[in-house]
Amino acid sequence: MTWLRALVPQTKWQATFLLVLFVFLFSLPAWGGDYWVRIFTGVTMWAALALSWNVIGGYAGYISFGQVAFFGIGAYTTGLLMQQGRDWNFFATLPIGAILAGVVAVIIGWPVLKLRGAYFAIATWALAEALMQVATAAGFTGGSSGMSLPTNSSTSFFYYVMLVAAVLTFILCYLLLERGRFGYRVKAVRDHEAAAESVGIDTTRVKIQAFVLSAVIPAVFGGIFAYWITFINPQSVLSGEITDQMVVMALVGGLGRIWGPALGAAVLYLINRQFLAVFGDTTSYIAVIGALVALIVLFLPDGLISLGSRARNMRLAQQLITRAIPRAAPPGSVDQPKTKERA
Amino acid sequence: MSLLIQTIVNGILVGGLFVTISLGFSLAFGVLDVVDFAVGEWVMLGAFAGVACVSWLGVDPIPMLPVVFVVFATLGWLVAPLIYRVRTSRYARPALMALAFTFGVATFARGTMLTSFGFDPRTVDIGVVHGTITIGSLHIPALRLAGFVFAAVATALFMGFLYKTRTGLAVRAVAQDKQNAGLMGINVKRISSLVYALYAGLTAMAGVLIGGIYSITAQDGPRYTLLAFFVVVLAGLGSVGGVLVAGLLLGVLQAVVTVYVSADYTLAIVFAVLFVILIVSPQGILRRGAA
Amino acid sequence: MTVLDVRELRRSFGGIRAVGGVSFSVGDQEIVGIIGPNGSGKSTLFNLLTGVVRSDSGQIHLNGRNITSWKPHRIARAGMGRTFQIPALFVNMTVKENLFASIVEGDWKAAPERADFVLDLMNLEHVPHMLAGSLSGGQQRLLEFGRVLMRDTQLILLDEVTAGVHPNLRKIILAAVRRLQADGRAFLVIEHDMEMVRTICQRVIVMDAGEIVAQGSFDEIASNKSVVEAYLGVPVE
Repeated sequence: MTWLRALVPQTKWQATFLLVLFVFLFSLPAWGGDYWVRIFTGVTMWAALALSWNVIGGYAGYISFGQVAFFGIGAYTTGLLMQQGRDWNFFATLPIGAILAGVVAVIIGWPVLKLRGAYFAIATWALAEALMQVATAAGFTGGSSGMSLPTNSSTSFFYYVMLVAAVLTFILCYLLLERGRFGYRVKAVRDHEAAAESVGIDTTRVKIQAFVLSAVIPAVFGGIFAYWITFINPQSVLSGEITDQMVVMALVGGLGRIWGPALGAAVLYLINRQFLAVFGDTTSYIAVIGALVALIVLFLPDGLISLGSRARNMRLAQQLITRAIPRAAPPGSVDQPKTKERA
Repeated sequence: MSLLIQTIVNGILVGGLFVTISLGFSLAFGVLDVVDFAVGEWVMLGAFAGVACVSWLGVDPIPMLPVVFVVFATLGWLVAPLIYRVRTSRYARPALMALAFTFGVATFARGTMLTSFGFDPRTVDIGVVHGTITIGSLHIPALRLAGFVFAAVATALFMGFLYKTRTGLAVRAVAQDKQNAGLMGINVKRISSLVYALYAGLTAMAGVLIGGIYSITAQDGPRYTLLAFFVVVLAGLGSVGGVLVAGLLLGVLQAVVTVYVSADYTLAIVFAVLFVILIVSPQGILRRGAA
Repeated sequence: MTVLDVRELRRSFGGIRAVGGVSFSVGDQEIVGIIGPNGSGKSTLFNLLTGVVRSDSGQIHLNGRNITSWKPHRIARAGMGRTFQIPALFVNMTVKENLFASIVEGDWKAAPERADFVLDLMNLEHVPHMLAGSLSGGQQRLLEFGRVLMRDTQLILLDEVTAGVHPNLRKIILAAVRRLQADGRAFLVIEHDMEMVRTICQRVIVMDAGEIVAQGSFDEIASNKSVVEAYLGVPVE
């Protein structure tokens, strides 16, 4: 069970942080009150969604603007299966949605992942919007008037379901992307596809695997979300705004890192709720996140999560500089980084 | 039959505006190497500028077009260096970051406009041009015709600039080969700002007219971004000649779908066609693009 | 034993014949150089061998297996490694991670110790956690070469691996090549540096306009008139 061992935190700081976080999150309903429990239900969901986007966007380097499609597939699957007449058990609907999303990801991914950069972004965007149009037009989805699900008024039920799902998602992604070979494969594909191929990595397969992972996660959360808000329509589970949120959260938090999206999700969701409380709507929030994205790209491209290590790196750089000045490179030494080596 | 011809004519007339927008968009891509996610927002902003002309200044938008151009070209001139800086950064993944940056700018523009103007649709009241011109059984709305004329003139001037002036030559050089153009003494950064400014100004002007032909809401930006994508993908990113044909084609497609199917489906069908094109031929159907 | 066997390989782009009817072989532990003026088809040949480009006709055999229409990653797993003209590094990964990423489809268990060995050999042992993108030009070449070392390959394709490299670093690479040769690997080397070719290649293939115009030892081809003509006076003193 080497993967179990891999989960053990490596430093005391990490261990303490994780412990505090766990205790805080798992005990919240006991002392937090309905309002905060609902807030954190939202935060955990978005943290997981942003992480799923990060898998294909930050780790694989393929910017997708269509992830909401999978969220919607999960939502509608759960919705349809829990309708009167079918009455599926809620938990049983989630794997179905996940499998469906996975299959769609494979079918769509095969041609779409051959596209580069902006083309991929546009294609995925087009796909998600088309799906939304279809859901609006189709009859069995309830069209634009949406569909209702059975009610469940327990806030702590949904909180714990989201939380457990999010924790499992994090563990899964951490093991796959930071601990296993898969992470190396994915990052190699992101950094240089040709070089990755030249060391034997099947880039097509890796891309599809990453895409499927990034599809299955939102599908599960879409299902939970549907049951949570009891009523879904294309606008609430298939709109481009949802993908936009995922993108922004991952970007602001930090691409290509496990904790980045969670940080971004927490920060942005709370800002969102604040704007809602103060202004009554979220249009100014949209302007804020737009500005935030632009600023992050300009000044902190590795996201908020890099703030900690950046300080460390700067200190390191300073140390190296002060140490390098008095000492000239010893004769015969091969590595002279300051001399121009290119002709 | 006459309905079909009418529809096609209407489509071509509006297609001219799509051409103008897409030309700038395509050139901006060629020069800056960035797919500008904010293209639709420039359209939307231009349309709202047109609205503002009427409601705030009490002036007809058409004579104000040059002012609109200057205002938005200046805005573009201010934004461009930032895009350039992100795109040429030696940091990680500049192409991706540049994409994210334009996405941020677009979102910011959309959010600001939504906060200021809400969700209600507005129409640009162009009083100077109105009525319908009747030729045989064809009824051509004068506004659409004006839009087409504007697009034709703007496109002609644009092409003239590109192909007949020295600066235009520099622009084309940069679009073809940034590195060598720079080595030959062309200030790539300056050219990038110039191109982006021109493109922003042109697109905003087109937006004024689009806001008159169709109504505009603060949320419509992404819709026009998609349409611009459609045109350049069909033509091939970086190709100028193909954009002319593709733009008109989109206009026709949109008109036909609206009349014969339903306005609600236009986007869906455009999306579907776009998706199929990207899969079948990423270099663009007309295969003149540099992909 | 022949490591690489190429027969009548052809590839055209549009109307232009990039590679026309090329045949040659590389034997066990041989170092073969490929030289020729720009545009002679050397890079295309490499792309054909590594599977990046599909040939129009002809065959390629690696260790006896017909790899003619295989995908690049499959060919790589079959025992072929390569470097790129412009160092193809995983720029957002550290030096050590780059090495690990190179062996991800191979002997994963041996990765840590092999990585340490390569770092030492390539004089990169003091920068294992530096981002590959912030290395100096020479270090990047060394790292790229080091990536090739991580894997079990029988044939390594080097594409102008010493171009623009400091002479001291060049020595490291040459030493590594010789060591690998002794270890049982063969090399196919594109080079413009004649000194390097003379020093290290047992056999030299000269290409011009997509065809092989001469083959032989360095001295043989140096005195070959058609070779000199193809280069239009490249110094060979």
